[in-house]
Amino acid sequence: MVGPTASISNLNRADGSASFKCPTTGYDVLGAVNAPIELPTRRDALKPEEATVEVFVKPGTTTAGVGERYIEGILRSVLGKVVLGREKGFPRRGVVITLAIVGGGNVERGDSYLTILPALLHTSLLALLSASVPLSMTFAATTLGVTISNEIIRDVSPRGAKAAASLHALAFSSKGHLLLNESQGRFDFEIWEAVREQALFICQGAAVPSADGDVAMDEEADRTHLDGFIRETVEDQIHSEYNWKVDSV
Amino acid sequence: MASATANAPPSLSLPPSQFARLQPHAYLLAHLSPPPASNQPSIRANGRAPSQFRVTSANAGSLTHTNGSAVVRIGDTAAVCGVRAEILHTDDIASWSVSESSTAASTAKHQHLADLSDHPTKENKDVDQDSDAADDEDRAHVQGLNLLVPNLSLSTGCAPGFTPGAPPSALAQSLSHQILSLLHSTRLVRADDLRIWYQPPNLGPEDIEPHNEDEQMDVDADQSGSAENRQPREIKAFWVLYIDVMIISLAGNPFDAAWASVLAALRDTKLPKAWWDVDNEMVLCSDDLTQAYGLSLRGLPVASSFCVFEADAAAGWRAVVIPDAGEQKKGSQSRWILADPDGYEEGLGQERACVVVDKDNDGKGKTVIVKMEKHGGWTVDSADLRQLVDISAKRWDDMKRILDQC
Repeated sequence: MVGPTASISNLNRADGSASFKCPTTGYDVLGAVNAPIELPTRRDALKPEEATVEVFVKPGTTTAGVGERYIEGILRSVLGKVVLGREKGFPRRGVVITLAIVGGGNVERGDSYLTILPALLHTSLLALLSASVPLSMTFAATTLGVTISNEIIRDVSPRGAKAAASLHALAFSSKGHLLLNESQGRFDFEIWEAVREQALFICQGAAVPSADGDVAMDEEADRTHLDGFIRETVEDQIHSEYNWKVDSV
Repeated sequence: MASATANAPPSLSLPPSQFARLQPHAYLLAHLSPPPASNQPSIRANGRAPSQFRVTSANAGSLTHTNGSAVVRIGDTAAVCGVRAEILHTDDIASWSVSESSTAASTAKHQHLADLSDHPTKENKDVDQDSDAADDEDRAHVQGLNLLVPNLSLSTGCAPGFTPGAPPSALAQSLSHQILSLLHSTRLVRADDLRIWYQPPNLGPEDIEPHNEDEQMDVDADQSGSAENRQPREIKAFWVLYIDVMIISLAGNPFDAAWASVLAALRDTKLPKAWWDVDNEMVLCSDDLTQAYGLSLRGLPVASSFCVFEADAAAGWRAVVIPDAGEQKKGSQSRWILADPDGYEEGLGQERACVVVDKDNDGKGKTVIVKMEKHGGWTVDSADLRQLVDISAKRWDDMKRILDQC
């Protein structure tokens, strides 16, 4: 199975940027983050003590519609909880995340957005990391489909989503919290628990954080799960950015 | 004596309503965790228990100019929903001839389904629930042709934050999308109810000639014979349902109220008998009320929303999140999951959960989850979600009773 690919800081003008490509679903998302910036429309009456997180999603071939408003709302509530909006320099300002869906199938009107949700979440996380926005935790997300015969399939494509009996998008923080769950279709709670277990394994691998919150570093295990993939992408980027320093020593 | 009381210094204690405005978090926390000495039960500021929903009432058929309508009131949140049906001719669908010829193989299925729908019985409903081909047909028509068009409006002056006449806010748009995607994922409306058919008359002489043989034939042979002779029926038009929801008063939890009103309005919807008239080349509708038919909806999905209130006001922005930190201090409850939050409570918690459940066989079967979402925080996990599903299942019984009565 081919894993996702990602690159960081590929746009010059934005404070931070990232692109994320998932070959199994075909989605390719480019994201830019500007933070902290002054928002002209911001009203001080709304939570002056912390930063406002704004998310804009642009679909590939059309203008953003009601479906995008919905997905923006979900992303805002997930990322707003992860971004530390009370750090120095952030209150009263904005963290603006712009996500453009560059490749992949179009999401039709009234269709489910769950298949693209992990790609959007990963892109925004990498872009936030690239912009050095303070975060309380990182996360990893995945979408799982359940077929009519109760078989769990991972990385559902938009076409596969139509055939699935139920679809589940889950995001887990690096500490193992369930950050997001979006499920639709007909299912019962036992199926959902099996899905949750599988999703946790995909996101975090077998590595269970120890009691003090530290994650055991294991190079071998990193490749297989998404949390390790995020970590490795950032490590590679830092390594290439500090190449001059390493070489001079 | 009267002047003495007037000159008395103003009291230093605040009335509860002022305290609620100044320190909303502390106010709700004080209600939920009263001091153990006071012997008061843990109760929300609005007098409800944490898993208690607001008083709900529903009234169907309030608007006379619609095909179906309902007013649902959950506490101080009120939603009006009207369903208007309009005719979409297949001639007006650009891709109709192409898409139909590609599914020509399934016309037999078509015919079969149409025959079933003429005499809807319990078995027939089970049959088409199980068959995949019918599902795909349903989806292709209802979803592919956009036969359901829900829209939700918040610009009615429903709450101080929403200016009347303003463009649809992000909240209104995302609620519209949620209603549409829930209508699609539950496949609530059957495509078969929305089709308008044309049965070409059999003009050939075969109709009369085998009449004599018919009398000797047994019933099975007769049916298959007539089905072969019959010209295939064709779809000439569709009903498009415009589902408009107006939130006329918003005091938290708009989704539950909006969805309940959509459900009640669709249950109330009656479509006139319509047929294709060859001579006029148009669809005609009967104005006879006895011929109008209601929609046969698939199940009764009921939505229940929840909001999480955390005792620690700083929990949301602490830089270092230690796993299971909440469980370390066992002494007091650190968070509450509040069912059906009102506007005041929604402002105090970021974390939301929404569970939509349905029960098979009119409530006697097992509970099926149709949609489950949670976002905006990290405290709710599987144990809590299991509890929420149980609460939602109880809510389903209440909502069914309310919707059956309206």
